[in-house]
Amino acid sequence: MIDAKILSLREAVASVPDGANMTFGGFAAYFTPMAFVREMIRQGKRDIEMTSVAECWVADHLAGAGRLRRARFSNFMFEGMGRCYNFSRGVERGEIAVEDYSHFAITSRLVAAALGIPFLPIKPMAGTDLMHTRGFEAEKARPFACPFTGESVLLVPAARPDVAVIHAARADRDGNAQLFGNTCVIDEQARAASRVIVTVEEIVDDGVIRAQPELTVLPGFLVDALVDAPFGAHPTGMYRYYDPDFAFLTDYYAASRDEAAFRRYLDEYVFDVADHWAYLRKIGIRRLMALRADPGLGLARIHARTLS
Amino acid sequence: MSDVTRQEIMAVAAAREIKDGEVAFIGTGLPMVAAYLAKFTHAPSSVLVFESGIVDARPRELATGVGDFRLLHGCVKATGLYYALSLLQGGFIDLGFMGGAEVDQYGNLNSTAIGGYARPTVRLPGSGGANDIGSLAGRIVILMPHEQRRLVPRVQYLTTPGFLDGPGGRERAGLRGEGPTRVITDLAVLDFEPRSKRMRLLTVHPGVTPEEVQSRTGFPLLRAETVGETPAPSPEQAAILRQRVDPEGIYIGKKG
Repeated sequence: MIDAKILSLREAVASVPDGANMTFGGFAAYFTPMAFVREMIRQGKRDIEMTSVAECWVADHLAGAGRLRRARFSNFMFEGMGRCYNFSRGVERGEIAVEDYSHFAITSRLVAAALGIPFLPIKPMAGTDLMHTRGFEAEKARPFACPFTGESVLLVPAARPDVAVIHAARADRDGNAQLFGNTCVIDEQARAASRVIVTVEEIVDDGVIRAQPELTVLPGFLVDALVDAPFGAHPTGMYRYYDPDFAFLTDYYAASRDEAAFRRYLDEYVFDVADHWAYLRKIGIRRLMALRADPGLGLARIHARTLS
Repeated sequence: MSDVTRQEIMAVAAAREIKDGEVAFIGTGLPMVAAYLAKFTHAPSSVLVFESGIVDARPRELATGVGDFRLLHGCVKATGLYYALSLLQGGFIDLGFMGGAEVDQYGNLNSTAIGGYARPTVRLPGSGGANDIGSLAGRIVILMPHEQRRLVPRVQYLTTPGFLDGPGGRERAGLRGEGPTRVITDLAVLDFEPRSKRMRLLTVHPGVTPEEVQSRTGFPLLRAETVGETPAPSPEQAAILRQRVDPEGIYIGKKG
């Protein structure tokens, strides 16, 4: 049973079937399991369905590689840059089916699954096209009068993804996983999903975890597979480890405007590198070290003009 | 102050909407600039909450997004998105800011799609927290560029509720809060006439006429009895905006 949960990135990705309904950790340009996503594309995973909140970098990569079949989600946008071109093109061409929710509504669907109940009542979305205009769901929300007070609410059904992929800061060998900073939707996603894969910056001794239990986002019994993936969120950032690689993200965004340019990006950073280690060698130690967080600030000095 | 940009006027007008001690739900861009300005001037005790799960950020350096580590560093609580949005449904948020590709005369917003839903001409980012803020915050302040194609008779997809179909619309849908109370554009400041819930011109920015505002609006605007001029930034506000909040002029515009 020793280290039964620890898989290589290749093995962990191989365990995900084509057509899987997946949810990914992270928010905007932060905490996103990008090494896992690149390996998914490399291995040819296809027909992926996303149950998503704001995993824009995942959605745009999978869409640009032609691997995203449909998405129930609330928002895919590159903050400070604009809409996601690969994802938008896929929807505009009718290649990706969508079902739109508000942040609170889609998260509530995950919470219902996490709590083991069939639905939850919520207040937002009523009266709008998020309620009235259908995508691919049989029924996304139902107006309901509270049986106690008569107050009108919407009922949203539980959403149970097949697989949650979370990138955390560190975990022990049992998968007890910790994160510094804001925790995105990790807790709800992991408890909602049938299977949970966690990639981490570092695997540590269990004493490190037990010394600061308040940092634990996922107890190990919720975690099915654990993958050692340092810089596994690059080009997004990990608080107290490294900042988002804004220059890389900007170059990506420019490439994503044009399909041929995006194909060259995929070749260069996904298909032409054998694995995550080769990817890190390609990015280069100098660049990675410049992104590393200052221990006192939690972010890189190159991005902290006045904070120090 | 002839070198004042319209974005600076917008930022000052938006900052004025945040009262000291209020809890505000803040997004990226001009709302963040306005919130920082409010904190640095008349509303030092206001609390800024971000949907990323960052609560009561201490603004010191302009962030690129609501999950930026610059906001995380020095905030009072780092939690999850569900907690942050639950604060809206729990009734803890006094006001929120939002924008969109389109707004109609009742303050309903589209940030989802142009030209159909399932197979649109232009797919936009989607609601995110916008619908949650619009449905649940105490007051909503809308910030957007003033263009005829944006201020439209009918939004192509109703992402975020203003007053829905007019008076009583929010109540019939079971929504909370007052709904949108201000629209701040690069030409004018508007509100919603209390009985009809229709958009009403309050003030025009320096150098703008009410006729110009109407000509760039896709529906007839009501007008306040006296349409005044939007106050320009005070020297103190301008200095704080340019030196502390947005020294690179990313959101308040570059000065020549």
